[in-house]
Amino acid sequence: MTRHHPDSLTLMEYSAGNLSEPHALCIRLHLDKCPHCRSRVDTLDSLGAVMMEEQPKVSVSESMFDSILSRIDSEPASEPVQPAPPRMSALQKLLGENLNELPWKRQLGDVSVLDISEKFPGQSEQVVLQKLAAGGKAPAHTHRGNETTIVLQGAFADQNGVFNQWDFVVLNEQDEHKPVAVGCEDCITLSVLSAPVKLTGRFTRLLNPFIR
Amino acid sequence: MTTLDPKPAKPEGRKDPWSQLLDKVGKHQDREAYHALFEHFGPQIKYYAMANGLASHAEELVQEVFVSIWRRSCLYDWRKAAASTWIFTIARNQRIDMLRKMQRSSAEMLVETEDLWQIPGDNEDEPVTSLHRLMSERRIRESLSHLPEEQVTVIAKVYMENKSHQMVADELNIPLGTVKSRVRLALNKLKVILQDQNV
Repeated sequence: MTRHHPDSLTLMEYSAGNLSEPHALCIRLHLDKCPHCRSRVDTLDSLGAVMMEEQPKVSVSESMFDSILSRIDSEPASEPVQPAPPRMSALQKLLGENLNELPWKRQLGDVSVLDISEKFPGQSEQVVLQKLAAGGKAPAHTHRGNETTIVLQGAFADQNGVFNQWDFVVLNEQDEHKPVAVGCEDCITLSVLSAPVKLTGRFTRLLNPFIR
Repeated sequence: MTTLDPKPAKPEGRKDPWSQLLDKVGKHQDREAYHALFEHFGPQIKYYAMANGLASHAEELVQEVFVSIWRRSCLYDWRKAAASTWIFTIARNQRIDMLRKMQRSSAEMLVETEDLWQIPGDNEDEPVTSLHRLMSERRIRESLSHLPEEQVTVIAKVYMENKSHQMVADELNIPLGTVKSRVRLALNKLKVILQDQNV
C-alpha cells in the first residue's frame, strides 16, 4: 500500500521512462501538483544523467552532426518552440474540460464508472474513472493485483485516512476498504488496474464494474 | 522534508561547463557550443539507444535528441536543471516517443510523450532551486563510486536498459524483493529517498 505520494521506487521507474502510459499519467498528474515529489523526480532524473555518463561511449561521426545541422537549417528559422500558454493538460486532452459531464455509467448506489482504456491503445492495463457521489459510500472491496489511483476531483476517506485531490494511492489484495466521498463535491478518481477489483460485500456481482 | 541544504548558494550555484554551453545555444544559437555538446553527449546517447534495444535506430535517436535540444534550448534554464539532467530527460522522452510511434499511428496518440513525461523547467510555475539540483548531481556522481557493484548494476539496468524491477529480478535470477532492497539501499545512500512513506 502506498498512500498520498508515490514511493521512490515507482518514481525511479517513472524517471527511467519504464512505466506504462496510464501509470505515467497518474504520476505526472500528481507531480504537477506536488512540489515535494517533483523535487524527488528531479533528483532521480539527475541520477539518470549520471548513469548515462558512467556508461561506455559509442563514437558518433561528424557526418551525423552535418545531417543534424541540415535538418535544423531546413526548418523555418528562429521559430523556437514555446510552450503554448495556456497549455492543455494531459487530462484535458483525454477527457475534456468537465469531468462531471462525461458519459458516466451509473452502477448500484452512489458509484458511477467509465472505462477509458481505449484511450491508451496498445497498453494492457484497464484504465477506469470512478465517481462517488458527494457523501456517498462505495461497497467494501479488496483489489487483485495492484490498483494505482489518483484523485482528480473532490476527496474520499476510508479507514486509513482522507484522500484529497491529486493524492496518489496504490492498493493491492491486502487492502480491503470502504471509501466514502467527503466534502460537497462528487469524488472522481482515475485508476489503473492490473487485475479486476474483487468485491467483499453483499452486492458483489451486481456492483462490480470490473468483472467481465 | 530534507530537500534543501541550508548553506548559501556560492560556488555550487554556478553553471557547470555543459550548462554554460547549452545556455549559449539557447540564447545565441551558438553552433560551436552545440557541436561541443554533440561531441560530449552524442556518444552517451548512442550507447543509451543501443543498451535499451534500439540498436538499429541508434543514430536516428541521437539525431532526434539533438534536433530536439536545438529547438527547445531557448526554454532551458540552468537554474532549474543541469544540462546533463535536461539532456537525459530529452533522450528518455525521444526514446519513448520513437517506441510509441513504432507501435501505433499518430491518430491514436491522444497525449504527447511530454504530457506524460516532463522535461525539467518546462513548467514555468516551478520554483527555482538551482542549488539543490546542481549539488544533487555532483553528490550523486560522488556517492555512486562508493556503492556496491550489485546496487549499481540494478540501477544501470533500470535506467539504461529500461528494465522494470521485475525484469531485472528475472534476468539476474534473484527475487523481486532483493532487487527492490538493492535499489532502496542505493537511493538511501544517494539521498534520493527524501521522505518515503509506508516503506
